[in-house]
Amino acid sequence: MTEPPAALNDPRFMKALLDLVIPPSAPGDLPGAGALGLSAAVVTAIQADPALGPLVEAGTQAVQESALSQHPEGLAGMAPQAGVKVVEAQLAAHPFLIMGILRYLYPAYYQHPQVLEGIGEPPRPPFPEGFDVEATDAELLEKLRARRKV
Amino acid sequence: MSNEPVGVLVIGAGASGAAFAWSIAGAGMSVLCLDQGPWMKQRDYPSNGLDWEERGLGEFATSPNVRGLPADYPVNEQDSDISPLMFNAVGGSTILWAAHFPRLTPKDFRMKSDDGVGADWPIDYQTLEPYFALNDRMMGVSGLSGDPAYPYHEPPLPPLPLGKSGNTLAAGFEKLGWHWWPSDSAILSREYEGREACINLGPCLTGCAQGAKASTDITYWPVAQRKGVKVRSGCRVREITVREDGMADGVLYYDEEGQLQEQKAEIVVLACNGIGTPRLLLNSKSQQHPDGLANSSGLVGKNLMFHPYAMITGIFEEPLHGRRGPVGCSFWSHEFYQTDRSRGFVRGYSFEAIRGLGPAQTALQGMVQGFIPWGEDHHRAFARLYDHTATLLGITEDLPEDTNTVTLDPELKDSHGIPAPKVTYRLSENSRKMLAHAVERATEVLTAAGAVETVAEPLMRGAGWHLMGTARMGRDPKASVVNERGQAHDVKNLFIVDGSVFVTAGGVNPTSTIQAFALYVADSIKKNIETLFDDA
Ligand SMILES: Cc1cc2nc3c(=O)[nH]c(=O)nc-3n(C[C@H](O)[C@H](O)[C@H](O)COP(=O)(O)OP(=O)(O)OC[C@H]3O[C@@H](n4cnc5c(N)ncnc54)[C@H](O)[C@@H]3O)c2cc1C
Repeated sequence: MTEPPAALNDPRFMKALLDLVIPPSAPGDLPGAGALGLSAAVVTAIQADPALGPLVEAGTQAVQESALSQHPEGLAGMAPQAGVKVVEAQLAAHPFLIMGILRYLYPAYYQHPQVLEGIGEPPRPPFPEGFDVEATDAELLEKLRARRKV
Repeated sequence: MSNEPVGVLVIGAGASGAAFAWSIAGAGMSVLCLDQGPWMKQRDYPSNGLDWEERGLGEFATSPNVRGLPADYPVNEQDSDISPLMFNAVGGSTILWAAHFPRLTPKDFRMKSDDGVGADWPIDYQTLEPYFALNDRMMGVSGLSGDPAYPYHEPPLPPLPLGKSGNTLAAGFEKLGWHWWPSDSAILSREYEGREACINLGPCLTGCAQGAKASTDITYWPVAQRKGVKVRSGCRVREITVREDGMADGVLYYDEEGQLQEQKAEIVVLACNGIGTPRLLLNSKSQQHPDGLANSSGLVGKNLMFHPYAMITGIFEEPLHGRRGPVGCSFWSHEFYQTDRSRGFVRGYSFEAIRGLGPAQTALQGMVQGFIPWGEDHHRAFARLYDHTATLLGITEDLPEDTNTVTLDPELKDSHGIPAPKVTYRLSENSRKMLAHAVERATEVLTAAGAVETVAEPLMRGAGWHLMGTARMGRDPKASVVNERGQAHDVKNLFIVDGSVFVTAGGVNPTSTIQAFALYVADSIKKNIETLFDDA
């Protein structure tokens, strides 16, 4: 039997893990993070982080080993609820696992056009269009002006 | 590159260096500015791309230790309760700043006389008043005249819109009858002097792609260059050199290629901020100045002040659209600014209303605060927070203490091998009490504004935006580094114009006052040029 690849370098494992960390929303308007294909970019960023990288690597390795001991396909073959249990069981020994992933996963996830649309934001950068902002409440300004006279 | 001797050599092209250089230009002396950082380009700022939040955590992070760019120098902050933040480029920290632009108040200049703590400044608000006004015009300041917390002044442009988040929070202040006022903001509410108005991009803290936020690379510098000032970017000054009589005669610096160069000057002006300036002075030891330049008082690097910040966030049921609009410019409150000893502390603090965060920042902050879990409940928790928060920052007055210091780290060095600064800073009991008070009062006003829940960070570690006090001014050479005109007591042709000279910190953002002081120093050099070095 061949050894499985290291957890961070196993695309099927990472996709499954990211889908557990940010799963698709119940109504289906927001995709899971794994399904969006974010693993490669997130793994590159994690591996370049000298502080969090080794902690996440050790944590994912432990999750992968535990999952493989329960299912021949590991996390990728497990139902989400069972997968979550496997991850949770490793958190006491690897407290920075999720935080380390999310440090890079949140920025990647929340810049994706599909996600931006799902949360009600236009799927574009802030510049050059910018945004409209509500004017200052005229009644509040009146109160300020009155105070000024005092 | 020609290293012809110059009349005035300014080190640091940030907020203060730019204002000073612009003002001194045209006074008959050649003016050169060296900065270790590059010129920035608006098209490279993060808000041009979808990855704006990601880049704001990396190459545009506010901490030089996180960025680690070639222009940055490392800062040892292990023994500090607050992380020092800055940006190193032409424009300095104004590239990333929020542009919230309050002035110190008249009482801030006489704290010892009024409250018996700290020290009085050797100058007052009235002395700086014309320079505040001039600086407002040069930077392009938007605001509403008539704030009862200040002497009357008229910002050149109308105030920025508060937006729904600002309106909501301001209504809370009104309900409690507390002072609030639309902020003076160094952001254009209208087109001004060839610059476009703000279009509410949101991420001011990663540079303004629109050019509506006043960073000095687009305000002072183009005009200063037209007046003949030369700027050399990518040049890091290693030390200030001295003549036999102890007067400054120029600098040694590393150019863009890393070559050591010598630049001679008749007057040397330091504008490297409250950390860079003491670092350079301490790195400029000589036979004549064995403890570092201008340090006969032993006060170079002492009395570091930051403004400890508390952050209090309210969660609202209504969407507040807070991610739109300049994040740090909405309104301020001076309700708790003056000393009231019944509160258990001396001096006070201001509140600064903050708009909202982008989605990734909301998720990251929500994770840290324990509001947003991973897994199944993530989306529900995120939706409750995103676009539904508004924040108050409590900016507390930091009292000067000589145990809070910038020194040279014995081991840490920058990429040129120059000793890096070490910051030692511990929060005082007075500040701790003030922060706790700010959390309580902010919780009260957020609730009055309609927040259904609040969460507080009573001391923000990553909030060392304001760097002050490390080369303080005063009349007594034994108790200060520079005099009231920014001139070093020990070295008459050396001037300091950045926040290092602050005697006390006030409880508001400092840059309006830093720049007004820099303009005042330039003016006083121009007026007194004949007698400047008389008692040298
Ligand atoms: C994220 C952020 C937000 C902020 N928001 C606000 C705000 O809303 N309102 C406010 O009033 N203030 C704010 N500030 C603070 C404000 O930016 C500073 O007070 C102001 O820029 C200080 O001006 P300065 O000239 O002293 O220093 P800086 O603007 O920091 O400029 C110093 C310059 O000196 C250069 N330098 C240092 N050492 C050397 C050397 N050895 N050789 C060559 N060059 C050198 C640096 O590269 C830099 O460009 C903020 C700061 C940050 C970082």
